[in-house]
Amino acid sequence: MNHRENIDRSFDGQLSQTEWDALQQAVLADPDLRREYVEKRWIHALLETESEALPSLFAEAVPTPSAKTTVRPLLWLSSAAALLFFAATLFLMWDRHSGDIVATLVEAEGCRWAGSDLPTVEGAGLAPGTLSLMEGMATIQFKSGATVTLEAPGVLVVESAMKCRLVEGSVVADVPESAHGFTIDTEKMEVIDLGTRFGVTTTPLGNSNVFVFEGEVKVRQGESPETKHLLAGHVLVGAADPLSDSDLEVRRSEPLPSPGEDWTPISTAIGEGRDAYVRRGDSHGPTGGHPLLMVKHTDLAENNQRRALLTFDLSSLAGGEIRDARLALKMEASGLGFSSLVPDSRFAVYGIVDEAATRWSEDSFLWKNAGTLVADTLSEDVARRLATFEIRKGAPNEFVETRSDALTDFLRSQSDRPDRPGRHVHLLLVRETGEADQQGLVHAFASKEHPTSPAPTLWIQTSPAE
Amino acid sequence: MADTSPDQAAENYLILLNEHEKSLAAYVYALVSDRHEAEDIIQSCKLTMWKQFDRFEPGSHFVAWARRIALHQILNYRRSAKRKPLYSTDPAFLEAVAAEIDHESDHYSARSEALQECLKKLPENQRRLILLRYYEDHDITSIARETDRTEAAVYKLLSRVRASLNECVTTRLNAPAT
Repeated sequence: MNHRENIDRSFDGQLSQTEWDALQQAVLADPDLRREYVEKRWIHALLETESEALPSLFAEAVPTPSAKTTVRPLLWLSSAAALLFFAATLFLMWDRHSGDIVATLVEAEGCRWAGSDLPTVEGAGLAPGTLSLMEGMATIQFKSGATVTLEAPGVLVVESAMKCRLVEGSVVADVPESAHGFTIDTEKMEVIDLGTRFGVTTTPLGNSNVFVFEGEVKVRQGESPETKHLLAGHVLVGAADPLSDSDLEVRRSEPLPSPGEDWTPISTAIGEGRDAYVRRGDSHGPTGGHPLLMVKHTDLAENNQRRALLTFDLSSLAGGEIRDARLALKMEASGLGFSSLVPDSRFAVYGIVDEAATRWSEDSFLWKNAGTLVADTLSEDVARRLATFEIRKGAPNEFVETRSDALTDFLRSQSDRPDRPGRHVHLLLVRETGEADQQGLVHAFASKEHPTSPAPTLWIQTSPAE
Repeated sequence: MADTSPDQAAENYLILLNEHEKSLAAYVYALVSDRHEAEDIIQSCKLTMWKQFDRFEPGSHFVAWARRIALHQILNYRRSAKRKPLYSTDPAFLEAVAAEIDHESDHYSARSEALQECLKKLPENQRRLILLRYYEDHDITSIARETDRTEAAVYKLLSRVRASLNECVTTRLNAPAT
């Protein structure tokens, strides 16, 4: 078989799978062929990358083919002053389909965009293309009348006035009668509207979910021709694939930027540290091995209450006196609920003082056996409210950090008790504020099982040991 | 990046992304056969890079960092059950090709400028072919129909055009600067 000829044919999808497999084997086995493959492939890749610029390139080349008019349009960007301009206009550059506007970006609340190929200023008309939202919330009105709110971080592909595709993130769709049949496509399922308000979420870690607030939608999963009808108040959870080991690749050793030299990070992954959350009703069993710690408070749906428990093992902390402390958590997308339905949220960190409540295990910790820790009002003999922090509506998934004198005092009192073996500190994380709709966002933080983000971490500043 | 405010971080990220976005895209197109799949991966990559930007060491090699993240995304891409892939590809093959690309340590902008110059020299019929294949994203069958050729003739011509572009780019890159 002529592998050299097949290299080119593979770029145009001209090989059968068998021929492609044979070519792959040959390329793997022969370093020279591999070099040749990469060299040819790179030209093909450059043509794909520059594909949008080809017509203008050819047009400009017609009069004087030899004229050197190499364009380096973005060189001026080295000036930071140009940046604001750049952020607003970069995404206007390629406008091949400017004729067929199918939607309008009606609102862009606190939005920061990552390389979207569509205009991202409020009021802009949108042709088919992709919107990548790093921060904020964007509302898109399709010509059919359907309105879709995209929450960051998210990637939405606008396909037509009646269709979009959610690559990642969460959307809430409001679909009037004129747009019945409006479809949101995700990797796992296709959601077809039958006159409703509904939401769809997808996360790189977890599930694709559909929530119906009002009316009815039709859902088709995978290749199955069958559709399921979902009515108001119903939720459909798409199965998530298990995480592969290679997802662990980017884990970093340093948990967080250090506040200073005399600070020591103690994460829940160190020593006998533990972390888990509980949900009222315990529908999913113990969560000790879960990559996310989910936290939620709502008065609208009893079984959606969630609290997280963190145990830190301070035995590796150097001897000196504790001077200051901070708790740092990395926010993650939970894939559950919608941040557009939750106002700014306040969280409280409690220090657990009830001896019995501190003897919890990751394998068996459930709401029903959490006893006093899940009471609506936590009593002073069980846990002390030490610190609070706030997460803004639509905030990006970044680190949140909180400190207080009460937290420092608590660590001091807990880590200095000769009557207790080990130096364990137990904290309870509670959301104090509720939501406007029961499909409001479930906040999530990386646990020590998270494949890429750092575990909950206490940064502790100690005086030099004597 | 403890002393960097979120705004400053976003600004730093956008500057780096803008400078190297095409290099990243070419890398993904070099490894992923299906164009739509590649486009999805590029978008997800940009978002993942932003999410992990606090872990990027300022001053280190952004392209190398971006390529690591991209390769990870490519290897872990969960293909939509609804879309049949062009080919299924062996992860070992992807890793070997990725290593070869890294080995070449390509300077994207120089090569891309050279390619642009070379493209301008193509005769009209070859330009049309390149436009149909890469700009219009047509497959060989429909190009054959539109240009009134056989499929075998189309792919032979395409492969010849790419070979001549390759040769032209290599010559330009090796020529002393004028």
